[in-house]
Amino acid sequence: MKCYKNLFRMLAVCVTAGGCLTASAQDVAIKGATIITMKGERIEKGVIIVRDGRIAKVGADLKVPVEATVIDAEGKVVMPGIINVHSSAGMSQANESNDNVPFLSVVDSIDPALTFFEESRRNGVTSAAVVPGNSTMIGGRGAVVKTAGGYVNDMVLKKDVGLKISMAPRTGSRLAHYAKLRKTLEDVVEAQKKRKEKEDEDAKAKAEADKKKDDKKEAAKKPAAKPKTPAAESVTAAATREAMESLLAGKLPAFIYCSQAMDVTNAIRLVDEFKLKPIFVVGRDAYKAADALAARKAPVILDSRLVSWRTDPRTREDEKIVLTKIFQDKGCEFLFQADDRTIGLGSHYHWYQAATAVKYGMPKEDALKALTINAARALGIDEFVGSIEEGKDADLVILSGDPLKAATWVEKTLVGGEVVYEREKDERLRLLFEPEKDAN
Amino acid sequence: MKTLKLLLLAAIAVPAVHADDIIINAKKLYTVSGEVMEPGSVFVSGGKIKAIGNNLSVDGSTTIEVEVLIPGLIDAYSQAGLDQAAERTREVTPDLKTAGMLNFRDRDFAEAVSSGTTTLHVAPGTDNVFAGISCAVKTAGDAKARVFADKIGLMISACDDPRRGNGSRSRPDSIYIRQPTNRMGVVWLLRSTLHAASNGGEGKGMDILRSAIKGEHPTFAVSRTHYDNLSLMEICREFGMKVPVVFGGQEAWRILDDLKEAETSVVLGRMRPSSPNGLEQTRLAADNAARLHKAGIPFCISQGDLLEQARFAVRNGLEPDAALKAITTSPAKILGLEKRVGAIAEGLDADLVALSGDPLEFTTGVQWVMVDGVVQYKQAGE
Repeated sequence: MKCYKNLFRMLAVCVTAGGCLTASAQDVAIKGATIITMKGERIEKGVIIVRDGRIAKVGADLKVPVEATVIDAEGKVVMPGIINVHSSAGMSQANESNDNVPFLSVVDSIDPALTFFEESRRNGVTSAAVVPGNSTMIGGRGAVVKTAGGYVNDMVLKKDVGLKISMAPRTGSRLAHYAKLRKTLEDVVEAQKKRKEKEDEDAKAKAEADKKKDDKKEAAKKPAAKPKTPAAESVTAAATREAMESLLAGKLPAFIYCSQAMDVTNAIRLVDEFKLKPIFVVGRDAYKAADALAARKAPVILDSRLVSWRTDPRTREDEKIVLTKIFQDKGCEFLFQADDRTIGLGSHYHWYQAATAVKYGMPKEDALKALTINAARALGIDEFVGSIEEGKDADLVILSGDPLKAATWVEKTLVGGEVVYEREKDERLRLLFEPEKDAN
Repeated sequence: MKTLKLLLLAAIAVPAVHADDIIINAKKLYTVSGEVMEPGSVFVSGGKIKAIGNNLSVDGSTTIEVEVLIPGLIDAYSQAGLDQAAERTREVTPDLKTAGMLNFRDRDFAEAVSSGTTTLHVAPGTDNVFAGISCAVKTAGDAKARVFADKIGLMISACDDPRRGNGSRSRPDSIYIRQPTNRMGVVWLLRSTLHAASNGGEGKGMDILRSAIKGEHPTFAVSRTHYDNLSLMEICREFGMKVPVVFGGQEAWRILDDLKEAETSVVLGRMRPSSPNGLEQTRLAADNAARLHKAGIPFCISQGDLLEQARFAVRNGLEPDAALKAITTSPAKILGLEKRVGAIAEGLDADLVALSGDPLEFTTGVQWVMVDGVVQYKQAGE
């Protein structure tokens, strides 16, 4: 009996939180809410009309089509879905033991059934950049996925959002790690150059052969020299080459993990030398390079531990380090990362990270932008998501009150116009509050 | 009435103006023991709160303007400053006192004061069934004066911790053997020790146990699972002893009636706001604090980040007033320190916290923290 009960509960959780992405032809209208668009002013008592999964219209006095499904959001607040800019929790085994694997893509490792996705929807996160872990030198390509769907292919928003590069050695010295990374990049440049030369040579040989072909007598004497075809490239080598060349062409951004300030300096050197397009993922101790990062104007993703303590080894003075304050004071725009584990009080919630930044002086509007439109821009997906604008995906969060307030909860989450989370049907949340109803 | 008193005070104060006389004007003042004043002022002199009112003015005093003022927070369960929180050569150490062994350079103190906590109840670790005597200490100030109550109560570990690391793998005659090795052993050690004490047993700390049984000083017990709570109550019944204050109380929600009947209080262990499980595989209820409040059981929030924990408690259903009490007046009462700390009231220590806004919003920051009339922490840029 107990067994059945459990099974039933699991099913219930699946149904309520599983979400599905079947395109519906019916329009959806969200009525009566305060709309935080992230683009201009708030709209009081506004209406959002959703058609074919996209935002068709936003405004204060909109006529709701008669056939539309109306979501009454009177007294609620609607904001764009939050974008998780960097996480390895949506996949299994984020770090490859081989340290140079640009041919790998997280898409092959994303498990839509992970609680990570359910937790995301519960907390208003509608897109997530799933990126390989921090301990592989070149760890593979990350992807942006929507947080609802049964199959990864239905969820992918941007397949190759960036290649993960780590400046921190898993073991051994930083010197060797840096040298190896640099050598790997150099080898790509070298191979590219050689191939170019080879291609030129082949083209020349072919042109000559063609010329000779015209001379039939010559052709009769000797068969034309066939241009040598290169030995067939393995799939892995081809994928590696493709990824690395696209990285060096600045088409594929690099998520560069810097655990310390010195890693930032090294990373910047590589970025300049190889013309990379960086997204800096900085560890807790990299704050001393905040000004160098600010000068780059590239996206910076902060460590999930926004507040930490440091004891000066000599004076034994304790110092409180608030990352958001340091980066803000240096004029560096940054994005938030949430903790993958749920051990801290709230650092695994994106909204909590933003609230913490506001606590230490960040304007609230800026903090909300960092969760949405700025995050979308950093990942190059702002054409689709990040704000409530006509034509963008209808990824929306309906909140019970103002965002970042202690008593505010996510009431509903929509991905592509579909309601994929409803608080009143959230079985797992209910069990947190009513554990006595649990069979265990 | 208050203004009148202050005028009188001002008249007296004129000849001997203290250098540390301060008036703090707050747009919103949470006295916690009394009402919320909008605006409200506090007059601090000699490290004490001398008066509360409106538009206070005392010659020669400094004036500070703040948005919101609340009392310094009290963390009823801390191990700050204890390098080794237990003496492991014996299992029963009721005579161990934390007051004499604090390292004031411990970073925990700096962390606590920066988050608005001004008083810590430092309890010995949970390795021993009878762990020792706790003390109350200020989070900043002159090291000599910081321990302001050196004997708060006797700490008992009625949980899984004392058996941890103990095994019967070593030779039975080994001097390293340590009791207990399982939960039954923990309960047995509790019972047998109390039995020895109540039958005139001699030995270190037996007098302390005898006075604990008689209820001459407070007793506290770290007890997380509901069945440990119940065992504790059973043992107390056997010896006619008052049920100790329950520390941890992760499963208090399961036995609200029993706790109520035992007339005890609960010092809630550090919250895990979104986890279904706590220490010792306890099943958590996200609204544990709210349930205790509804049941009328005195409780407080403890183990660091008090404001943040109180905010999560509010998010999970606790009334804001009760949440603020749970980190100020309530721990003060549970520890018997309400005559010194826990509220903004005349005669209490001048432990005050200035905030940028509503105390129970995550976006509110601590601007400065005053301990015994001296500002000991200032947020950078303030």
